[in-house]
Amino acid sequence: MGYRVGVDIGGTFTDFCVFDEQTRDLHTLKVLSTPDRPGAEIIDGLTEIQRRYGVTPESVVYFTHGTTVGVNTVIQRRGVNLCLITTREFEDVLEVARLKMPDPYDLFSRRPTPLVPREKVFGVVERVLADGTVEHEVDEASVLAALDGIRAVGGEAVVIALLHSYRDPGNEQRVREILEREAPDLSILCSSAVWPVIREYERTVTSVVAGYVQPRVAGYLGSLQQALKSVGVPAEPMITKSNGGVMSAELGKTECVQMLLSGTASGVIGASHVARLTGSDNTMSFDVGGTSADVAIILDGQPQYGTGEMIGEFPIYVPTVSVTSIGEGGGSIAWVDRLGVLKVGPESAGSIPGPACYDRGGERPAITDAFVVCGFLGGAELGYSAVKMNASRAEIAIKTIADRLGLGSRETAEAIIRIAASGMYLEVSKLVSRYGVDPRDFSLLAFGGAGPMMACYLARELGISRIVVPLTPGVLSAFGGLIADVKNDFIKTVFTDVEPASAEALRANFRELEDKATHWLREQQGFTGEAQLLFSADMRYRGQSFEIETPLERAWIESGDTAAMAGAFHREHERVYEHADLDAPCQIINQRLVIVGDSPKPQVATIEQSGEPPTPLDRMPVYFDGQTHQASLYRRADLKAGQRFAGPAVILQDDCTTCVLGGFTGEVDPYGNLILTAES
Amino acid sequence: MAIDPVTLEILKNHCRAAAESMAYTLYRTAHSTFVKETEDFTTGLTTPQGLTFATPTELGATWFVGLNYANVINAIDHYDEGDIAMTNDPYSGYVCTHSPDMHIWKPVFHEGEIVCFVVGHIHNTDVGGAVPASLSRTLSEVHQEGIRIPPTKIVQKGEVNQEILNVLLANVRMPEQNWGDLKAQIASVNTGERRVHEMIEKFGVETFKEGIAGLLDYAEAQARDIMRDLPDGRYFFADYLDEDVAGGYPCRIALTLDIHGDSCTFDFTGSDPQIEGSVNMPTGGAERHALMMVGLVYVLYSLNPRLFLNSGVCRVCRCIMPDGTIVNPRFPAAVGLRTLSVQRLQGVIIGAFSQAAPDRLPAGPASGGPIMNVNTIDNRTGRRIVASIDPITGGAGGNPKEDGTEGSGANSSFLKNTPVEINEAEVPIKILRYGLARDSGGPGKHRGGMATELRFEAQAPNTRITARNRDRSRFTSWGVLGGRAGSQSRFLLNPGTDHEENLGNTDILKIGPGDVVHIGSGGAGGWGDPLERDPEAVLTDVNRQMVSPESAERDYGVVIAGGSVNPAATEARRATLRAERPTDGRFFHFGPERIAYEAVWTDGNYTALTELLAGLPVHWRFFVKHRIFEAIDALPAERRRGDGSEVRSSYEQVVRRYPQLSALL
Repeated sequence: MGYRVGVDIGGTFTDFCVFDEQTRDLHTLKVLSTPDRPGAEIIDGLTEIQRRYGVTPESVVYFTHGTTVGVNTVIQRRGVNLCLITTREFEDVLEVARLKMPDPYDLFSRRPTPLVPREKVFGVVERVLADGTVEHEVDEASVLAALDGIRAVGGEAVVIALLHSYRDPGNEQRVREILEREAPDLSILCSSAVWPVIREYERTVTSVVAGYVQPRVAGYLGSLQQALKSVGVPAEPMITKSNGGVMSAELGKTECVQMLLSGTASGVIGASHVARLTGSDNTMSFDVGGTSADVAIILDGQPQYGTGEMIGEFPIYVPTVSVTSIGEGGGSIAWVDRLGVLKVGPESAGSIPGPACYDRGGERPAITDAFVVCGFLGGAELGYSAVKMNASRAEIAIKTIADRLGLGSRETAEAIIRIAASGMYLEVSKLVSRYGVDPRDFSLLAFGGAGPMMACYLARELGISRIVVPLTPGVLSAFGGLIADVKNDFIKTVFTDVEPASAEALRANFRELEDKATHWLREQQGFTGEAQLLFSADMRYRGQSFEIETPLERAWIESGDTAAMAGAFHREHERVYEHADLDAPCQIINQRLVIVGDSPKPQVATIEQSGEPPTPLDRMPVYFDGQTHQASLYRRADLKAGQRFAGPAVILQDDCTTCVLGGFTGEVDPYGNLILTAES
Repeated sequence: MAIDPVTLEILKNHCRAAAESMAYTLYRTAHSTFVKETEDFTTGLTTPQGLTFATPTELGATWFVGLNYANVINAIDHYDEGDIAMTNDPYSGYVCTHSPDMHIWKPVFHEGEIVCFVVGHIHNTDVGGAVPASLSRTLSEVHQEGIRIPPTKIVQKGEVNQEILNVLLANVRMPEQNWGDLKAQIASVNTGERRVHEMIEKFGVETFKEGIAGLLDYAEAQARDIMRDLPDGRYFFADYLDEDVAGGYPCRIALTLDIHGDSCTFDFTGSDPQIEGSVNMPTGGAERHALMMVGLVYVLYSLNPRLFLNSGVCRVCRCIMPDGTIVNPRFPAAVGLRTLSVQRLQGVIIGAFSQAAPDRLPAGPASGGPIMNVNTIDNRTGRRIVASIDPITGGAGGNPKEDGTEGSGANSSFLKNTPVEINEAEVPIKILRYGLARDSGGPGKHRGGMATELRFEAQAPNTRITARNRDRSRFTSWGVLGGRAGSQSRFLLNPGTDHEENLGNTDILKIGPGDVVHIGSGGAGGWGDPLERDPEAVLTDVNRQMVSPESAERDYGVVIAGGSVNPAATEARRATLRAERPTDGRFFHFGPERIAYEAVWTDGNYTALTELLAGLPVHWRFFVKHRIFEAIDALPAERRRGDGSEVRSSYEQVVRRYPQLSALL
């Protein structure tokens, strides 16, 4: 028996979640992140955990960790001096991308400047055809010429991304051999090894992001391993992955492209766990921080996956938990345009200086300041005493725009909150329309520092009548890391018609993927527990230009039942697009396999029950719907299972404040989750 | 504004959410790959009178912000709850602008009163007619461009009008796609209707009604605010399509922009007579037709990207569109390929505005590249494959702050390419090159964006290539303030061989195994004097293979030796170039072909031509234009004066030659 520790490093705070395997208690902690000394915050936190909860480093038997070091490397453009080798005549792949611009109405709209500028891209003479035929072997002289170019620009690392390498990686490997022989100091990645999927821009940009961050991420993970060892933590650290799983830090050093969105993904994993625990199968997770809100759709208790998620300005195409980021958070700034109309965001006060009420020099009114002026915040300290509230600063900041609007401070503050909520409603509307679901069938799972503060307002906009605030809303990503499974994805592009003649090849390909997957889990990960294999294929009707991932059963693959595969695709197509064409020929573009090694899940303890109504700490005035109301103030830690209370109410806890509007009733479930229900 | 600004802002978000949800619903449930690939569709909400007050900005075509459904709404005398009407006839109300665009509109009722319409269109892959996909430059009457449904209820009180549907589907080549896409449109307007009912429940019907008026007023006020920052004045600009019909004469689109206070006038007098081809723009001469407003929306939005996009924006502008011209053709002129002329028109509007705000707007965008379609046979299976392989686009013009974007941008920002690997896997062709065309960007202090180019080899006999909307193989994009024109577009067969052929603006081609096709868009124009470009930026362009060392020296005066700039040689070279080509102070820089053309076809000649043709019956104008052009071509150079006199004398010859015409005068 010992402790399982999950750590998630964000821009402002680093979150800790500690699970005591003996008592099944959860402890949480937030410390300020130290972006200039990555990793130092972990040691700070472990020291604090020992001080507060008596957890010694030696007793940490499982350690998971999510980090933004990769994303930050891209955003700050502080990666390695990277070069790219392509097939000659296709060197502009990053410049041209997929042509489309981010804002098609704006004549000045631009794609981001590539991480590898064109002068560091070198074409080599070689060619593989779409069916895998090697039309031209690699011309060694052209590789040596490319190497001269790489030397001339001081390249430290190189990505090799040749046409159709997903089909036959031989030419990429040949280029790699030549470079290794001639330049053993170069760090080299092949696109076929990073993620061997058809579509050259998507595969290349994914590999380029991987190559760009790799040395920095690997260095970070190395020093993390060292630091944990030096304080005596016996567990080999596990790193949370963008696909919602975990892998060892040692593997992360080479597969860092898999962990770039680790924090957001594990937040959704934590959210799905809470969703299942609270019987909310269809849930929208709503994770609001200082600068943005992350929203994810959870269907039947499962997170949804996608590709093309953004790392800074760049999409990457490895399987990732789907999360939509909205540029509004607690720090979003309110302002008045030239025509006198109140706007919120996209500018944010961030963590420095932060909202005016943080009293760190911020003078412009942020959403958080509006909550202070409406009376919901300011009664307690935020973030484990890391931030002190100054209500008068918020008041002054709001006043600056209230005067322009000709409104009172509280009216202005409420207007800010409602406009912010309507902006979030707009973005969430797009998301639910994309999935074709009705938000009224969903629960809203609110977490992050500002999620529980905003949740009632957004729920009212969306017509959602049930809100869940988990026991540890400020550290759900860290918690998600603790329950994540060891998981990896494998893909093979085949581009074949679904017909009996393809059955043998499909079976052989899945065997090959299974061998790779098993090797990864058992040999590379050293995992010995139970494992599952999930088979699927990216399928489409012939002539379509997009695919739907369709789950396949092993039995169909073994028996070569291509009719069953096509049937599964027709059903998926019907589910996603509301129509199917049973007579149209289907194609499989990619075969996919996911391997999942079950990690032991923390069985969170139930909390003490009470049949009595909770006693408010205090009553205090809050302002909403154009009026002042008396709200009950509760401390989260005092609330017992089964207790109910009516809004308006304010619930304080270490890592966030929950605002319960009038018209909502709160109830505490056996695990301490707060369920808010709108009166119909 | 009757509504308070806080509620207005909240309502604005809800209206946009409704429009975006309609777009996502349509996109998700549409059947045809064309819709998914090109996003050539719109959704929106209009006032009971038909003015668009909310449009999506994330999905869909960028051309229909100013759409006014009034004419088609009024074409139906009575609406019941649950009705949905449709039309794809360009000449029934001028809402639809070519026959593949199927527009639908549904009234939203509240307690028996229509409070708004939810609307949208999809570009159908085919609506029948003379050619597959219904569009060709060879067509000259709208009747050849497929079935036309005048404003008609396709759904009555919730029931599909099966008879009309049967007629429609019997006339198209892929009926299941049209029906599938129409169902997606119906799902989309039903989503919109539901959202409007939710808004009314939330805000109350009076607030909703005041709110939609307020949203139009708000967009208008924002647009006026932008206009006020532009100096008053009269700004003329014209540009050309290389040909009015295949092998024909240049087609001119001319605009006099008059900015006065917070509004402006677009006077299209001087534009060509309507064409006996399909590049006419059907507008009905409306004061603010959506097609005429696209360029305005681009300009205003680029000057302030916070502009809320709806038809209120267009209230700042009024158009003068002479009858029987390319911008206001009479029935039954074909309009199918108005895409090409509308894109050129956008450039003309940008060019007119750029004279008013040269420090805030870009030079001419690239254009002229087609959408490439290949129709060939897979040698292994014997199956015929028809596929759209890529839009061939070019970059944005150089702008006051930086170079234009490469390969796409400005008014071609919404297009997406197809990966080389997907093309090769699906279409039996071998792609030899896909990338940026060196030296295609117009030189400038801030260089014009580069063109893309694609080169591929056919593998089977009887491979047919269509390249819809080819242009700019003669007249190029334009530079401003000393910036130079971009390159011409290129369409070559078997380049670099002894049987190389320049295909010019050809748009249909039959080739066989081993034949190589090279297609490239035009490049965009540069901004500012290329001799003022930072030599290091020129060096970077050379290292990026975007500019050749020869062009660096010739166009930028930058001498590169041993991989770096030679400062002394550069200074000397630039001094020489400056002396050789003293700045003439002209605002625009055009390519040599346009300069040569306008030496003959001067403003004076065009003024005379416009005046003379305007006096003729519409059906004679195009004919007479061609006869006059022939006569001017035949004129010895020394007899050309450019003051309109040679046009007048040619005109008189034509009138004399055709008694049928003189009898009419």
